[in-house]
Amino acid sequence: MVVVRTQPTSSRTAPLSETTVIGWLHKNLFSTVLNAVLTLICLYIIYVVVKGLWIWGVADAVWVAKDRRECFDISIDGACWAGVIQWIDNIFYGRYPRTELWRVNLGGLLLVLWMAPLWLPRVRAKIFIGLSTVFLYPFLAGYLFAGGDKSLFMQVMVTLAMVCLAGNTAHAIIGVSSGRGLPDTLLRWLGKDQAPEATQRNTLLVLLAAALAVGYALQTGWTEEVVPWSKWGGMFLTLVISGIGIATALPGGIILALGRRSKMPVIRVMSTAFIELFRSVPLITVLFMATTMFPLFMPEGFVLNKLVQVIIAVSLFSACYMAETVRAGLQAIPRGQYEAAHTIGLGYWGMMGLIVMPQALKHMIPNIVGSFIGLLKDTTLVSIIGLFDILGMLRSVSQDVPWRGLHKEPLLFGAVVFFVVCSVMSKYSRHLEVKLSAGAKR
Amino acid sequence: MKLTTLFASATAVAAMTLAGATAAQAASTLEIVKERGFLRCQVGPPTPGFYNLDANGDWYGSDVAICQAVAAAIFGSKDKLEIQSVSSQVRFTALANGESDLLSRTATWTLLRDTQLGLDFTAVNFYDGQGFMVPKDSGITSALDLKGATVCVLTGTTTELNLADFSRLHNLDISPVTFEDTNVRNDTYLQGGCDAMTNDKSGLASSKAAFPNPGDHLVLPETISKEPLAPAVRHGDDQWFDIVKWTVHVLVGAEELGITQANVDDMRANATNPSVRRILGVEGNLHEGLGLTKDWAYNIIKAVGNYGEVYEAYMGGGELGIGIGRAGSANALWTQGGLMYSPPFR
Repeated sequence: MVVVRTQPTSSRTAPLSETTVIGWLHKNLFSTVLNAVLTLICLYIIYVVVKGLWIWGVADAVWVAKDRRECFDISIDGACWAGVIQWIDNIFYGRYPRTELWRVNLGGLLLVLWMAPLWLPRVRAKIFIGLSTVFLYPFLAGYLFAGGDKSLFMQVMVTLAMVCLAGNTAHAIIGVSSGRGLPDTLLRWLGKDQAPEATQRNTLLVLLAAALAVGYALQTGWTEEVVPWSKWGGMFLTLVISGIGIATALPGGIILALGRRSKMPVIRVMSTAFIELFRSVPLITVLFMATTMFPLFMPEGFVLNKLVQVIIAVSLFSACYMAETVRAGLQAIPRGQYEAAHTIGLGYWGMMGLIVMPQALKHMIPNIVGSFIGLLKDTTLVSIIGLFDILGMLRSVSQDVPWRGLHKEPLLFGAVVFFVVCSVMSKYSRHLEVKLSAGAKR
Repeated sequence: MKLTTLFASATAVAAMTLAGATAAQAASTLEIVKERGFLRCQVGPPTPGFYNLDANGDWYGSDVAICQAVAAAIFGSKDKLEIQSVSSQVRFTALANGESDLLSRTATWTLLRDTQLGLDFTAVNFYDGQGFMVPKDSGITSALDLKGATVCVLTGTTTELNLADFSRLHNLDISPVTFEDTNVRNDTYLQGGCDAMTNDKSGLASSKAAFPNPGDHLVLPETISKEPLAPAVRHGDDQWFDIVKWTVHVLVGAEELGITQANVDDMRANATNPSVRRILGVEGNLHEGLGLTKDWAYNIIKAVGNYGEVYEAYMGGGELGIGIGRAGSANALWTQGGLMYSPPFR
């Protein structure tokens, strides 16, 4: 006998354990007696910790007071956040003059403005935008932060940076709205989009020259008061040092890694020696060498800017670590890729830039971001050599006479700040990984 | 090949250093400082009383006042100054390599340091000494009662060595508990992790004032070490040595003569006391040997006040002071039984 149904059987409802909260609890937390006991123990531990933190840090805490004694008078067991609040400018900006803080904020905003096109859809030439961020933005920001008289080199770089920023932003706006690039649009406006290539190129060059002239005139009238580097500090200094370290680590690391894998013996030996020398020495030793020993070898009276010494040391150090990460990525690329690149006639740089590096970098993202996060945290070592970065400032709160002994609250606050910054970085790296490995998904 | 290059460049650098060092003898520290336009003065990581950052990012403290006084003596303004905060491991190197012009921090004047580190201590501006603090309810009233006690102490300092010496000398069998960080040491002591705590008495007073209940603790009367703290300069530049030394003397001398920050203008205009007239540059030529301007001492007092005022502001009962009594201590004037004494200004 054959039963034929013309209608498909309606699907059964999902079991309760899959749809309701109680079902989920039963399945995941209380499936056996042992699991139930473990769940209860964990819940109890969480309850005790959270309750303790809550009572100390929020319920009994003091938010407004003029010194620690007053905190004690109000609540002897609670946290005294008033000290952290009063020191907040020191923690974020260090000793930067309080009337000039807008310069630091503006510098941060400009960076966001500069890098925003990298994340926008339909914007072209992202590699150029990325490169200009690394090579031009530091000069603009550097002058903004330090101020003073501009040397000719600085004038040129600031002009280039200003023009580039304006072009970048216009390019991004046009890109988002129309999907075209800035040069195309300019030519279209001028009615030259059908003209021969040479005319187009010349028109663009003229426009560029005009923009540079305007930029140069603008920057001549722009001067800022000098803020010596010794006044830089707090989170700002941490970000400056680690930011430059991060920005130079990747290019430096790629060059060193390629050097180490090179077939030319001199380059290979030198790269290897350089990498191994820096990697076998702790960062704090490199910092001490750079700031304390280095001036001993120099003629008396020759005092280099300590911040520059630190930045150079951090950059070299991180480039060496990055070189090994890059080398690991390069080794993951099968030999066939190199040979295939050669067979289609690519030379060394074409092979590396177009075939090998893009694949290798994708493999390296977790490690690269890992070393960036490590670098950000290692930067706090500069507090030992007398720069007041965020850690130096957090530790100084407990020595300021009105807030003497207040050390848990500032450090806890610093931990939260670092957690936020580092987890944003690692979230972004996860996002990049997913985006770039779309092709590898099954 | 790499090694040879490295070695060659190292040798070159070393040779340059020697050449530079001999050539630099020509330019005196005073000339270098004047040329630069500001003084580089070295202090340590923030320490209550001596050097501190406030919430606006400005430095204050008694050793900072010495820096400001030297800057005022040279430039007439206490703001022509860069304060360098240097960790204690590299403090003497940073002075020797020319990074700092002057070291004004809690460095104890000892024979070895004075003779072997290429530096000279000028004039003592604070007499400290190591002591003990105990909870009041322990019933201990003398350091000699500490038999078999555990004592919290900072590691890597002379404090630790002094404690060991003291314990051995009096057969006390003290067991030290060492710490890297002042705050951790204080917390351990407060939670009963040790029977007593030892440090320089200025540090003890400052820690005690920051406790939740300062009245529950007692600083024992014994002082087990001598810690004369003095600004130091590089060995070999006598003029610079004199400038720093006499800056400290001006502070003490002004107090002896009753000159204060408030009355210094009035004194300069109306004083009849010849010593006052000489120190303020109204008559005589005291400034010539120092290579400074005539009103150098006036500028110092105008900028920071006299020694007593500086002490009151940062060590004593001032708003930013750490509350160490001065009367009867070694830091009182010699006329009041202390050791603060200035050579005559003539």
